[in-house]
This record gives sequence, structure tokens and C-alpha cells, in this order.
Amino acid sequence: MYRKAFALMALVVVAGLVLTACAPQTVTVTVPVEKKVEVTVERTVEVPRERVTVRLSGWAANPQETALLESLLYRFSVENPDIIVKYEPITGDYWQAIKTLVGAGEEPDIYYMDIFQFPFFAKEGVLLPLDDLMAATGTSRDVFIPDLINAFTYEGKTYGIPKDFNTLALFYNKDLFDQAGLAYPTDNWTWDDLKAAAQKLSQPDKNIYGLGVPADPGRFPIFVFQNGGRIMTEDFSDTLLDSPEVVEAARFYTGFYFDKSGALPSDVGEGWQGTAFGKGNFAMVYEGGWLIPYLNQQFPDLKYSAVLPPKGPKGYGNLIFTVAYVISKNSKNPEAAWKVIEFITNEASQTTVLESGFALPSRAALINHPYFQSHPESATIFRGATGATPFMWGLYGSDVNEKMGQALERIYLKGQDPEASFRQAAQELREILGK
Amino acid sequence: MFSPAMRRKLSEWLTAYIFLAPWFFILFVFIIFSIGWAFYLSFTDYNLFSPPKWVGLTQYIRVLRDRDFLQYALPNTLKYVAVVVPTQTVISLIIAFALDQNIRFRRFFRTAFYVPSVTSSVVISLIFIWLFSKVGIINQIFGLKIDWLNSPTYALPTIMMVNIWSTIGTMMLIFLAALQDIPVALYEAAQIDGANRLQILRYVTIPALRPAIFFVVTMGVIGCFQVFDQIYVMTAGGPLGATTTIAYLIYKWAFGSTNIQMGRASAVAFILSLMILVVVLIQRRIIEREE
Repeated sequence: MYRKAFALMALVVVAGLVLTACAPQTVTVTVPVEKKVEVTVERTVEVPRERVTVRLSGWAANPQETALLESLLYRFSVENPDIIVKYEPITGDYWQAIKTLVGAGEEPDIYYMDIFQFPFFAKEGVLLPLDDLMAATGTSRDVFIPDLINAFTYEGKTYGIPKDFNTLALFYNKDLFDQAGLAYPTDNWTWDDLKAAAQKLSQPDKNIYGLGVPADPGRFPIFVFQNGGRIMTEDFSDTLLDSPEVVEAARFYTGFYFDKSGALPSDVGEGWQGTAFGKGNFAMVYEGGWLIPYLNQQFPDLKYSAVLPPKGPKGYGNLIFTVAYVISKNSKNPEAAWKVIEFITNEASQTTVLESGFALPSRAALINHPYFQSHPESATIFRGATGATPFMWGLYGSDVNEKMGQALERIYLKGQDPEASFRQAAQELREILGK
Repeated sequence: MFSPAMRRKLSEWLTAYIFLAPWFFILFVFIIFSIGWAFYLSFTDYNLFSPPKWVGLTQYIRVLRDRDFLQYALPNTLKYVAVVVPTQTVISLIIAFALDQNIRFRRFFRTAFYVPSVTSSVVISLIFIWLFSKVGIINQIFGLKIDWLNSPTYALPTIMMVNIWSTIGTMMLIFLAALQDIPVALYEAAQIDGANRLQILRYVTIPALRPAIFFVVTMGVIGCFQVFDQIYVMTAGGPLGATTTIAYLIYKWAFGSTNIQMGRASAVAFILSLMILVVVLIQRRIIEREE
């Protein structure tokens, strides 16, 4: 206060001097001024990046498979601390759950998509096309087995990255072959070899049958393909169930049942032919890779192996069952979701999947992996994909399956002629397809 | 403003509604709203993914012309109700009479007959799949070679048996309670009047049981029209549609299909409830006339 008054007085004195002198005079006054200085200093600072959460759902087939996925996701989280993956497995009816979630717009960012269900989801436009995301990270379609990635392509866009797949193989019981004094099947077998062996292996009085021939739309079509036929037209708008190729295949397939060289699982008191095979009731069954861990667990003493499905009059034919990871169109973090998919389908992860023995990887390059040398059955199923057809009959897939199964049942249970039975199936299906 | 009496009444109302609020919430959201929404959906074409499209009565017409509905679901459901409801009512009534007598191990039998009712229907279904398999115990005991669940002839009767076996426990319990409610004085009066046992049964017991019978039959009719879980587990509607019932058809169209048909499934659901309503009303008319 005192100092301020003094300064004011000084100012008045100076001003007085200036005024009295009436002439410009230079006075030097030092005034303290605070000045802002910006200095660039190099220093590393931990800036917390925004963490995003990505939800992932699938069915929980078995605890081992869940553990496998969790371990892959853990590895991902170590490399990508900014992305939190919330794994939300769905137990029970997966399709009911996921369809309701999609309907409510509450679906997870990433979920499992079976090829059989894919057409509906693709047509409804609830999935995100992945091509741009793939281009951004330089992931090529070519690294995946072509039939698998093509199966998840709709109108030229990629909608799913195949996570694993299965085909059918002819599993055979070595002991039963030895007892019958027969040579084991080979990859070069034909329908005739199959029929001859089945007839020799069958001992209906002992409840042993050569081949399992269930009324199963997930098994029978391979005989159609091997006979040069198709289940549906290429655009899935019409069915070919009444074509001569299908009828002939049905005659051959159901023939095993009628001459007792084959049987239905229920004939030996089982719901699934895999169990009948494990118990030694069926000497041969067409099943996929899922049979291997089941047999190893339930029937560890069973001696078995597997070969490619025998060729029919028109050569090789097989079914591909495959599941992909898809991204929801509603996903708020598609880039992060893609990073997750990219990681869990990359070569290292797919190798882990293969070595776990639960599923076959979708990457073509892995065919040379040493695992296949020590696991010939898995190798058979992996090789089976070449020249196989995806298990998918278009939008009305479940109706096609139902009618095909019923056509076989009519032959088995009512003794109807294959031609009449499949004609009826095709007719009923055309009503549904609006033909 | 309000008189003390009115104020008390108001506060009573308020208290009541506060206590009822959670149940009202459930009632309106999960029952009344859901039914209303399903009713709306039955007039639309809806596949869960795209918004519902109004199509008027098309879905109802489609259902009434549908092969699965006309050829399998409708006749199978009617057959099922016609066999299961009377059978389970009569059997449970007989068991209730027996266990109402002073027999030995009465408590044990009561428990034993009731156990199926508290067991999960899925577990029961799995057990019966084994019992009725082609190499199962039933075939071995009777020396048969029938593939019960894979035969279009026997599959539905097998499921009927399962359901009868698993529901008689509950119905027996209701009948037992009703039997024990009949005043002893009525029996004594009848005896004094010289009625024999059969007459007592016909003119005292059965009339006294009428409300219980009405209840049991009504619940039976509703349950049988809606039979689903045993079929879902045991046969999935097969073989050749032999066990496809209306409730199973609803599931198939709503969820079991690659191409979802919510609208059509809702239409069948309303046709089914209409059928149940009609049957129950007829049944009530009959019971009333007897009185």
C-alpha cells in the first residue's frame, strides 16, 4: 500500500515535469512484465487409451472347446490390452437365442454362424461385410480353404471367416474287419467294395451290421453327390429330390437296410450311429471328426480308422459342415471385432486349434502340419474337403432336411418305393418353396 | 377435503396397489402385453429380423390349408387329448380311492406315485427313450421287437403313456385332498339309509368330487393341448409327422426353422388357444347341466 502510494506520487511528479517542460523527453522506466514461454520437452507419458469392449458368443459344445477358445482370447488380450473381449457362450438352443437377440438388436459383436443357417442371416442383411476390414489388415481370402470361405460369401461379399470345419469319412472297426477276414477299406474304395464288405460284415443274429444307414439328411446327400446328383438347383429355387440321380442313390443307400447289410441306429437301440459304432454294433459308419474325441473318451479300447467316402458311379462326393465367425451389422466397434477374428483365425491360433484335436483348422496351408501324420483320421477328414459340397440348402434348408429325412423314413418304415417317396418329398417341398 | 372414512379407504387402496405393483408389472408386461403383441403378429409376416408386415388374415388361411397342420398336428393333438385326458383322470381317481383306504405302506405309495410329477419332464423322457428302445426293457419283458419311438404307429401312444404316467401323481393328490374333505357324516347318513358301497360311490363320493374332477379335467385338457416337451425330447415330431402336435408346430415355425415364420406360428398359437377355450367351455356346460 505504502509503496503503491509512493509510485503514484512519483508518477504525478514525472507528469508534472513533462507538462511543465512542454517538450518531449525520453524517460527510461523499467516495468516488470510476466511473459509466457512455451518450451517443447521430449518425455514419454503413459496416456490411457480408450478401451473398447467386444462381445463374442458361440454355443458351448463341450468344456474343452470352450477352454480352447478362452486360451486364444487370453493370448489376444495380452497382445491387445486396449480391446476387452467379453466371451458370452450360449447354452441350450443357440439358434433360438441368437435369432431373438438379433431381432432385438442386442446381439454380440462377433458370433458363430453355421453354414446351414447362413442364407437367412445373409439375406436379411444383419451381418457386416468383411472385405474392407480384411483389406485394411491385409488378410487375403486365399489363405482359407476355398470351399469354406466361398460358402460364407453372399452376392460377392465375404460375411464370415471360417473357424473350423468337418467332412464325413468312412469310419471302420478294425476288429470286425479282422474277424470277417476282410482287408481294411482304402481311399480308393467304390460303392461295390462298400456293399460287398457290408454284406460280409453283417451278422444280424449277433446284432452286428455292416453299415449304419440312418434316415439322416446330414449323411444321405453324399451318395447323391457320388451319383452325380444335387439336392437343390444351383440358386436353391427348386429341389432336385425327384431327379433320377437322387432316387438311384436312395435305392442304393436304403438297400443296405433291406438286405440286412446295414441298419438304422434305432435297430440296435441307439439314438446315434456313433454310439452303435463305438459299441461294435456297426462295422462302418459315415461320420465327421466329432466322432474321434467321442470314441477316444467313451470307447478307448476300440480299434478304428477312417478313409475317404467310397466313390460312386460319378466319383467322389462329400459334405462340408462349417462354422464361421461373423460380425454384427450393429457392432459399434467393427475394427476391434475384426482384430479379434483376425487373431483367432490366424495361422498360430489355427495351429493351436488343430493340435487340440477338437476341430480342423480352416487354413489351407496347415495340411502339411505334422499333426496329421500322427492322426490319420483327422487327415482324412481334412483332405475330404476337396471336391465336397457345403451342407446348405438355401433359405428353406430346414424344410429340405425334413422332407429328405421323411422320404427316407417312408422307405424304411412303410416300405415305400424310393421313386414314389422322393417324388412326394419334392412335391411337398415345392409347395413350401412356392413353386 | 375427504371425510376420515374416505381417507382411510383411499389409504387402504393405495397400500393394496403398492403391494400389488410388482405383480401388476409382471401381469402387464409379460402376460397381457405379450399376448397382445402375439395377437398383432398373427396378422403379419414377421421373421424377427425385418419389421412385421401387415398381411391381414393370410397367416390364418395359410395355417388352415397347411399340410403339416391338417394332416399331422391337428389330428394328433385331438387324438392325444381324447386318449390322455380321460385315461389320466380315471387312473388317478382309482389310485386316489385306493390310497384313501387304510392300507399298509400308504405313505410310501403316495410318495411313489407323486415322484414322477416332481421329476423334470426331460429326464423322464430320456428314461422312457431307453425303456422303449428296440432293445429296451419293455420289449424284453414282453418279448416284443417293436421300435416304439421310430414307428409311425406306436410313437404317439408311447408319448401318451409317458405323459399319463408322469401326470397321474398330481391329479391323484388333488383327488386325495378332495376325498378327505368329504364329511364323514354324509357317508354315515348314507349307510343308515341302507346304501351299499357302490351306491355310496355313485351318489355320495362322485358328486362330492365334482369340483375336483372339473379342475383335473380342465387342467388335463389345457396341458394335453399344449403337449410339447416330451415330443421335443423323444421324437422331434417324427417319425413321418406321427408325433407332430400343434404346440410342436408352433415351435418349429417360430424357432426350429432356417426361415423363421413368427406370424404363422402366432396364428397357430391363437387357433390353439381358441380350441382350448371352446373345449373348456363345453366341458363346463356339461358339468353345470349335471348339477
